[in-house]
Amino acid sequence: MTGVRTVAGVALRNAHVTRLVALTLLLVVVFSALAPRVFPTALNFQSIAYSVPEIGLLALAMALTMITGGIDLSVVATANLAALTTAGLYIAAGGETATSPLLLVAFCAAALLVGMACGAVNGLLVSRVRVSPILATLATMQIFNGIAILWTDGEAQYGFPDTFLWLGDATIAYVPVAFLIFIGAALLIWHIVSRTGLGTRIVLVGANPVAARYSGVDERGVLMRTYLISGLLAGIAGIVIAAKSTSASPDYGGSYVLLAIVIAVLGGTDPFGGRGSVAGVVLAAIALQVLASGFNIMRLSPFLYQIAQGLILLVVMVVELRRGRLLERLRGLLTGRPG
Amino acid sequence: MPETAIVLRVRGVRKTYGGVAALRDADVDIRRGEVHCLAGENGSGKSTLIKIVSGVEQPDSGTITLDGHDVGRLTPTRAVELGIQVIHQDLSLFPNLSVAENIAMVARVASRRRLVSRRDAMALARATTERLGVSLDLGERVENLPVAQRQLAAICRAFAHDAKVLFMDEPTTALTWREVDALLALVDTLRAEGLAVVFVSHKLEEVFRISDRVTVLRNGEVVHAGEVKDLDRPTLVRVMTGQDVTEDRDVTGLPPDARPVLETRGLGRRHEFAGVSFSVRAGEVVGLTGLLGSGRTEIAEAIFGMRPADTGDILVDGEPVRVRSVHDAIRAGIAYVPGDRLTQGVFLGQSIRRNLIAGSIDRLISRSGRLRGEAVQRTVTTAVESLRIKTSDVSAPVRTLSGGNQQRVVLGKWLARSPRVLVLNSPTVGVDIGSKEGILQVLRDRARAGMGVLVISDDVPELVSVCHRVLVVRRGRVVDEITSDRMSVQAVTDGLTG
Repeated sequence: MTGVRTVAGVALRNAHVTRLVALTLLLVVVFSALAPRVFPTALNFQSIAYSVPEIGLLALAMALTMITGGIDLSVVATANLAALTTAGLYIAAGGETATSPLLLVAFCAAALLVGMACGAVNGLLVSRVRVSPILATLATMQIFNGIAILWTDGEAQYGFPDTFLWLGDATIAYVPVAFLIFIGAALLIWHIVSRTGLGTRIVLVGANPVAARYSGVDERGVLMRTYLISGLLAGIAGIVIAAKSTSASPDYGGSYVLLAIVIAVLGGTDPFGGRGSVAGVVLAAIALQVLASGFNIMRLSPFLYQIAQGLILLVVMVVELRRGRLLERLRGLLTGRPG
Repeated sequence: MPETAIVLRVRGVRKTYGGVAALRDADVDIRRGEVHCLAGENGSGKSTLIKIVSGVEQPDSGTITLDGHDVGRLTPTRAVELGIQVIHQDLSLFPNLSVAENIAMVARVASRRRLVSRRDAMALARATTERLGVSLDLGERVENLPVAQRQLAAICRAFAHDAKVLFMDEPTTALTWREVDALLALVDTLRAEGLAVVFVSHKLEEVFRISDRVTVLRNGEVVHAGEVKDLDRPTLVRVMTGQDVTEDRDVTGLPPDARPVLETRGLGRRHEFAGVSFSVRAGEVVGLTGLLGSGRTEIAEAIFGMRPADTGDILVDGEPVRVRSVHDAIRAGIAYVPGDRLTQGVFLGQSIRRNLIAGSIDRLISRSGRLRGEAVQRTVTTAVESLRIKTSDVSAPVRTLSGGNQQRVVLGKWLARSPRVLVLNSPTVGVDIGSKEGILQVLRDRARAGMGVLVISDDVPELVSVCHRVLVVRRGRVVDEITSDRMSVQAVTDGLTG
């Protein structure tokens, strides 16, 4: 009996990831059947792999803050600031002729620092000033956007050398470098969330902030670090965006904030905190890009793609709710208590 | 007592959830102008009874009459129209509206007026508060008020809407003693106005302090009903728990040279407590008891750094320690099992494993911050085995455990640190009798192993059973110390109510 329950428990806990894998495979199969010449090709899969990282990185940042019961609406604005930082530095260093790998490292580091600085502002507001995350990051989103526009007069910035653009268009063993960066970042976040003390504290603060305080968890420090990491991820996203689009622009990715939330929630992140799956977020990002690619190939309207996104989110949420109720009922039967 | 004095009469009410009887043929009479205590332990059926009389749940059988008329099928709206009101712990006020609007709101909605005039609301609210002798800033938004004043506003709202019977669900839980006094004064006024006020509580002092009559529920049955003045404490405990109050003290003598592990000197916090000095020696279990709002919880939380003291010193193992935060307290070797297990103690949806390591993460990580899997496993296994937590799968959520086992998890979280001092607030509330003794045994064992244990509780038999000494707190001061030689249920009870 207990063995059965253990196995059932493990299966149920990982069911979400299993479902996302099934969803992704289903989409691949359906689109392959509908467009057998175009969809199931190495080229198309590679193009999907090019498109996943920027939104995937932003969704990871979003998911991490959501696990603490917060949110980071400023991820896209942060990413754009980071991208503009690299652009500005490269332009100052001579634009396309600044090919030194040393500059690449230095300028990427600068972008990450800018990302973390943005994260630090959010972290201070949320953990010290105690502004609610949704309002704090809404305000900083506007501020970061405003800074970016003032800085550039709203113009896209060009002038990246090939050494930098390599991050956006090169492949290693057919896999885009940007995708490898995304997977690397996802592994790092997975490690933090499920294998470190900080990750445990992040989950505990999100699950029950009062009990966390009574357990001696330093809530402020945890929130501060969370938003720092979120800023760091946004900084990486900014580098990827700049390298892929060969430019940095203050208003890139206007719809990405909501898309990142959709992916985080679809990936199994509890918007109320305390639960989240990095593997789920990665899979959800891939699934949505497969969907986008399929719609694109079928020459369907991008608005239809939006509708499909919303529908998928709804369906997954309903399944999730049903599962919760089913579990409650099972538990009631097992313990003999009223459900 | 003439029959007409009975305002609410419940007869033969029965309610079953999934084959389990939550209420069996309950008879309850509530009289006009009385303060009635509905007493019983957790799970005794109190909440079910309230849900039924307020129309939230339908009984399987039985009748409810109000002023001699059968109320028929109740809905929450109907119950309010008839004058049966419940003040829940969350108070159900509109935080974004003013006090006056809150007080007037229900009356206006019920009278089906679509437009609400601010001036009318103010007039009604003012009339209500003046009549009840309550001082409230009527223009202030409810969210800006302290809990105690919100509660007064909720009571005024009920009164403004012609409540006949007013149920209050554990109303004193979140109040300080000053606030409890204000609440009780208001309850007196309500009684004089002819309302029936029903206090729902499992706390003995409340029964004795304010009630005229008491109805005791146990396992869904009414096991006692009558005048409070005919009862004494042990009798009430017996009817509530169904067990005789045996003074089965199980306390090991202390070596005369046992050294103090925790000392407080002149500990104080403005408006809460002052001049609190006591010590707990290695191997000793000390009780800290007091009425609700006496300051007992505040003292415990000051020692744990949750709400640090303004004045005085705390010493651990004879060394003064600065406790300005929970972190400070934990570092000094102080652990605290908080009073409200569900909101403060456990992470309900999180695994048993994660709950057990929540208090000692700093000790379970490598220098790079990685959790050491083996150390985590050892901590979890030790806790599950030594505390006999009944589970087959430590990755299952704590929610799946019984109250007693959940409390063991909270204990395990702290024992994993081997603290010098273990402070526990109401450690057996909401824990069934069998589990309760098990938890007390854990405390005895830890004390014997040299830990200092401080138990904050108002459960007199529990204190007598486990404590070497009991300190009594009244109005924020330690006013009495009951030493081992004069320890008895009667002595502690006298100290409490004294």
